[in-house]
Amino acid sequence: MSEKIYARLLRLYPSRFRAAWGDEALQLFRDRMRDETGLFPRLRLWLDLLVDLLVSLPGEHRHPHQVPAAGGGAPSFELLEPAPLRFGSLVFGGALSMAAFGACSFLINQAGRYQPLTRPSSGLENAAALMAIDEPTPATQAPGAAAEVDSVERHRLVEAAAANLKQYYVDRAVGLKTAEALLAHQMRGDDNTATDGQSFADLLTAQMRDASHDNNLVLVFSRDPLPLPSGPSPESMARYRQTMAEQNCTFQKAQILPHNVGYLKFDSFPEPAVCEATARDAMASLNNSDAIIFDLRDNRGGDPEMVMLISAFLFDHPEYMYNNRENTTERLWTRSPVLGSRLADKPAYILTSSHTYSAAEHFSYDLKMLKRATLVGETTGGAAHSGAFHRIDDHFGMGIPETRAINPFAKADWAVTGVEPDVKVPAADALAAAEKLAKRRLRRR
Amino acid sequence: MPRQKLNPLPSAAFQILLALAEDDLHGYGIMRQVAEQTGGRMRLGPGTLYSSIQSLLEEKLIAEVESREDARLGNERRRYYKLTSAGRKLARSEAERLADLLRVARAKKILRGDHV
Repeated sequence: MSEKIYARLLRLYPSRFRAAWGDEALQLFRDRMRDETGLFPRLRLWLDLLVDLLVSLPGEHRHPHQVPAAGGGAPSFELLEPAPLRFGSLVFGGALSMAAFGACSFLINQAGRYQPLTRPSSGLENAAALMAIDEPTPATQAPGAAAEVDSVERHRLVEAAAANLKQYYVDRAVGLKTAEALLAHQMRGDDNTATDGQSFADLLTAQMRDASHDNNLVLVFSRDPLPLPSGPSPESMARYRQTMAEQNCTFQKAQILPHNVGYLKFDSFPEPAVCEATARDAMASLNNSDAIIFDLRDNRGGDPEMVMLISAFLFDHPEYMYNNRENTTERLWTRSPVLGSRLADKPAYILTSSHTYSAAEHFSYDLKMLKRATLVGETTGGAAHSGAFHRIDDHFGMGIPETRAINPFAKADWAVTGVEPDVKVPAADALAAAEKLAKRRLRRR
Repeated sequence: MPRQKLNPLPSAAFQILLALAEDDLHGYGIMRQVAEQTGGRMRLGPGTLYSSIQSLLEEKLIAEVESREDARLGNERRRYYKLTSAGRKLARSEAERLADLLRVARAKKILRGDHV
């Protein structure tokens, strides 16, 4: 029995040791068992054997002995590399295994996490519309390699973003401060959790806005390669046209509400080159209303040319429209009166929300300052500056405010603060409030 | 083998060399001789014993002699080992090294007693 136990323990030794010395070891064990009888000597024997195992096993596994030539037809194995594994090799092998294990876990984890690109929430639209960058439709997206960002990639992007901010941001001091905030976040490892392009872009956008208090700053991620800075390609122009055609140039609703109040909801100011006819048709359909409500609660901005085009319907004479996008002293006048327009002297209301951005703020601000429209709703998002789009690489780019025009109304810009409404109500109640205002005003008439 | 496993000489290997100084012995004989010459303090287990024997054989400090039976231990054939001249030389130089250490220890008053 005891011998069987020891024979099993001997299996812990490398096979070459057992082949060379297994019989002798067992013989020695038998000799001691025979000679050392009684409780104490037996206990000491087993203690000796266990200590011997603990002491000699590691050495046997680390320092292989030369193998005696195999004989008697018994199978034998020989190591090609006689030198034992070095400590460094063990560490390297361990680290490599851990890395492979980590990579597998990461990939498994990522496989189920793909989400279609969501619509960015702010001033990007200015840049995107101007540059005619179309958001890829979710159906055409596939989880690509570019969706993941590693630490090297994050470092590169943060450096690029910081350099762009320092070079281009409208306010030099704020640009510097924001760039330094980005670098500090990176140094502290705050960015390490953002491992896919979209969440990294969102995180940097949040960091930039936090440091600058400027909601027009944005880092954009796109799965499809961004267009080169040479300008919109014919293909992207074609895509823009197609998207606008499919979405009716973002003109969502044009209808006559009770008391003959016209209602127009549009969610961007698209390029007149593509959407002029649609815009004119929408305005024409409301031409006979006694008041008009522009619903800009979901309007994220767009082309200042379209701001001019729609504003023109509201005046019977050319009116100066301050455009904070243009750093120019050249006056911008509406092409009023618009032939056949009956809206020039009708009360106008603009519905705003905290998601009303950029060109929509331009429209709201000027009509408010000109006392041509009553703003109803919430303070707008605050995206005033002219945003130029800077391409970092195929998948990342940033919108940076670069110019600030002289404001004829000599009031603070809405860059950060947004445009204050005349009647402050929650965005959801804005339409009802505006309808009530319009009704009261029409009755007075 | 590139590694010099017996430099410095482990105490088990040195004891084995000393055990073989007078007689050729088999494994169990070596174990008992070592236990005897250390006053029972060192009882070589099979793993340590045969690992040391292997190393000593590789370095040609001991050599295997013809296997034979040990009349006192039954009729099993056993492998016997003898000290080679290189082994004897190494054992002597190791003993001298230890003797030097003893002299130093005594000179430093760490150990009291006669000079070796």
